[in-house]
Amino acid sequence: MTVQQHVPKQNSPKENKYDPNESKYAKSASEFRANVSRDLSNDELKSNFRGAMDYLMDKRKVALSNEDELETLREQCKLIKQRCLLKLPTLLEQLEQNLEANGIRVHWAETITQANEIITTLIQDKNGKTVVKGKSMVSEETSLNDYLEDRDIECLESDMGEYIVQLAHEHPSHIIMPAIHQNKKQVADLFADKIEGFKHTTDVDALIGEGRRVLREKFCHADVGITGVNFAVAETGTLCLVENEGNGRMCTTVPDLHIAITGIEKVVEFLDDVPPLLSLLTRSATGQIISTYFNMISSPRKNGEKDGPKEVHLVLLDNGRSQAFADEEMRQTLQCIRCGACMNHCPVYTRIGGHAYGTVYPGPIGKIVSPHMLGLEATNSLPTASSLCGACGEVCPVKIPIPKLLLRLRSESNKPANTDGHKQIMKGEGSGRKKVEASIWFVWQLMHKHAFIYNSSMWFATRLRKLMPAKIGVWTSVRSAPKLAPKTLHERVKAHQAQTKKQQS
Amino acid sequence: MSTQNKTPSQTSKNNILAKLKEQVGGADYTKLSKEFAYQYPALSKAEQKKQFISLLEANHAEVIMLEPQEIPTMIRKVLTTRGITRLLGGKASPLENYLLELTNNNSAENTISIQYYDFNLSDPANKDRLFNESPVSITSAHSAIAATGTIVLWPTTEEPRSLSLVPPVHIVVVEEKTLYQDFDSLIKAQQWQNKMPTNIILASGPSKTADIQQTLAYGAHGPKELIVLLVP
Repeated sequence: MTVQQHVPKQNSPKENKYDPNESKYAKSASEFRANVSRDLSNDELKSNFRGAMDYLMDKRKVALSNEDELETLREQCKLIKQRCLLKLPTLLEQLEQNLEANGIRVHWAETITQANEIITTLIQDKNGKTVVKGKSMVSEETSLNDYLEDRDIECLESDMGEYIVQLAHEHPSHIIMPAIHQNKKQVADLFADKIEGFKHTTDVDALIGEGRRVLREKFCHADVGITGVNFAVAETGTLCLVENEGNGRMCTTVPDLHIAITGIEKVVEFLDDVPPLLSLLTRSATGQIISTYFNMISSPRKNGEKDGPKEVHLVLLDNGRSQAFADEEMRQTLQCIRCGACMNHCPVYTRIGGHAYGTVYPGPIGKIVSPHMLGLEATNSLPTASSLCGACGEVCPVKIPIPKLLLRLRSESNKPANTDGHKQIMKGEGSGRKKVEASIWFVWQLMHKHAFIYNSSMWFATRLRKLMPAKIGVWTSVRSAPKLAPKTLHERVKAHQAQTKKQQS
Repeated sequence: MSTQNKTPSQTSKNNILAKLKEQVGGADYTKLSKEFAYQYPALSKAEQKKQFISLLEANHAEVIMLEPQEIPTMIRKVLTTRGITRLLGGKASPLENYLLELTNNNSAENTISIQYYDFNLSDPANKDRLFNESPVSITSAHSAIAATGTIVLWPTTEEPRSLSLVPPVHIVVVEEKTLYQDFDSLIKAQQWQNKMPTNIILASGPSKTADIQQTLAYGAHGPKELIVLLVP
């Protein structure tokens, strides 16, 4: 029995497919509005997300019921991450030094294509043909699976959720629970369609058992294991992985070659920094006081050891992070420890689901991190898709002021063209500026500065109210047009005051 | 500056670090706010033990309290009730004496065979052996954590990393005296930052997943069962 393999896509010319400066997600993110319409009309999808988010919110609430503890931990974790960011270049150098001293090779990549090239070379140097991958959102950023498949290297996702998503030719809809958009019946249908000999059942134990059977076979024979990293400890040169399933342990223990890939912001200074971050990470994410496994890797297989990879490599990826870093306010985006609590509590995410965003990272954190990775041109709709209710900021374990950063990105997106030659803050800044909107605000500003213009335009607006069109673009697509009063409030107050005066005299 | 002799990775490194240093190079670290940790109430040893056991059990592990000399009999019982006759353990491990005692007491109708993890996993034949012919393994634990119901595995040459990972049932022997209140106090007490080994695993139950419709299923990729033998 075998799993049906993906056929490399032949339809697009390879040289165009991997523009070093553009991820495939730039296109899907720019189609945000269309994606939202598509997914809002899917009732099954909405119910899958509603159920999952309610479950995750309840779990977190129970695990963090001590308000004092929660607030002390959040403040502590925020300060830890801010300290590590302030020292980031030094810590990255220290991390590299200590990892190399431990025998772990370090590679640096500015772009997603550089990262993919480094990984491909490492695999090809060992004649590797098969890869098992633990959950890694950074490798989703680089679309590593597509890249390797096009080079005839099989790359199989081994986290159960990721495995389901890969079988369905989709990408994760949630950073912690990748297949949350599918219910068990959909998974059963998928397995029946893709796995030879699978007997259709919606029993979750049986479905997981089937995944286990297929993937154990792969773990046993894979040439390479690829994973992400949750914390990289500079002090000791240690890579830490958080997981429940054991697939991360498999990927980092059984194959002879282990390649880890992570963003440059994942480095922490001390081993001591890990316990509070870990405690808040798992409780914020799934309400677990700790994950089933916490895996700390400090070296490849040493002389005399009987298992473990003979080589371990770490790829450090920038991909827009240094852009966020360069602005003190937006630098806070990099405090993120990827728990997913912001999406679990987001009223927008819960309704539109994770795929509508079109980005690797959906939800509130996705809205503030993706513009740095994909540029504002492709992502300028994302920061506007928020009611600014503030829930994301309130639950964030490292206190990222997400609502404030959404406002900041809106203003970066709407600012006028760079005519005075100031230093560009973001790729694609000003790309969301619309002439009509800008001129409306210009007029608004003019009116409110000059009483005469204000009063006379109000007088005309109320007297000519019958000329108000019934349809005003997008506004009336879901609302009725506003009806103006026959007189302005000022006029009515004046009249009322005159009336009272008359009665008194 | 010429980058001709540099690898792409080195060029990237220089570019990334230059951008970061432009922002925070020479930053004044003395201005950083002081970080305060939450003070957890100190628990007595007895309370810690109770917490450790109840959290592990809540996470679907089986905890058995016993005296060291009862270990061989208990292992036999665990295997027999599961219809298993083969146990994988570590040669020259802290548990080897118990394993030897177990085989010494074999009877014709109740035979347990001990396999030792004395092979190199890089050999495909050994991978097959570990994945397909090793239903139960046993390892010692380095220490344990009460606050999260966690067992600390510190793999060695005698008890390799995959010994506690691949077999579907994992038996682990934990000594009460190695129990610490929480992860932070364990790291500090033992000064881990000075002696990180190849690998450390914190395990807090059998392998599990809730990736399909938030329904918890045990035995995702690692052990389906975790049996903790807790000795004084």
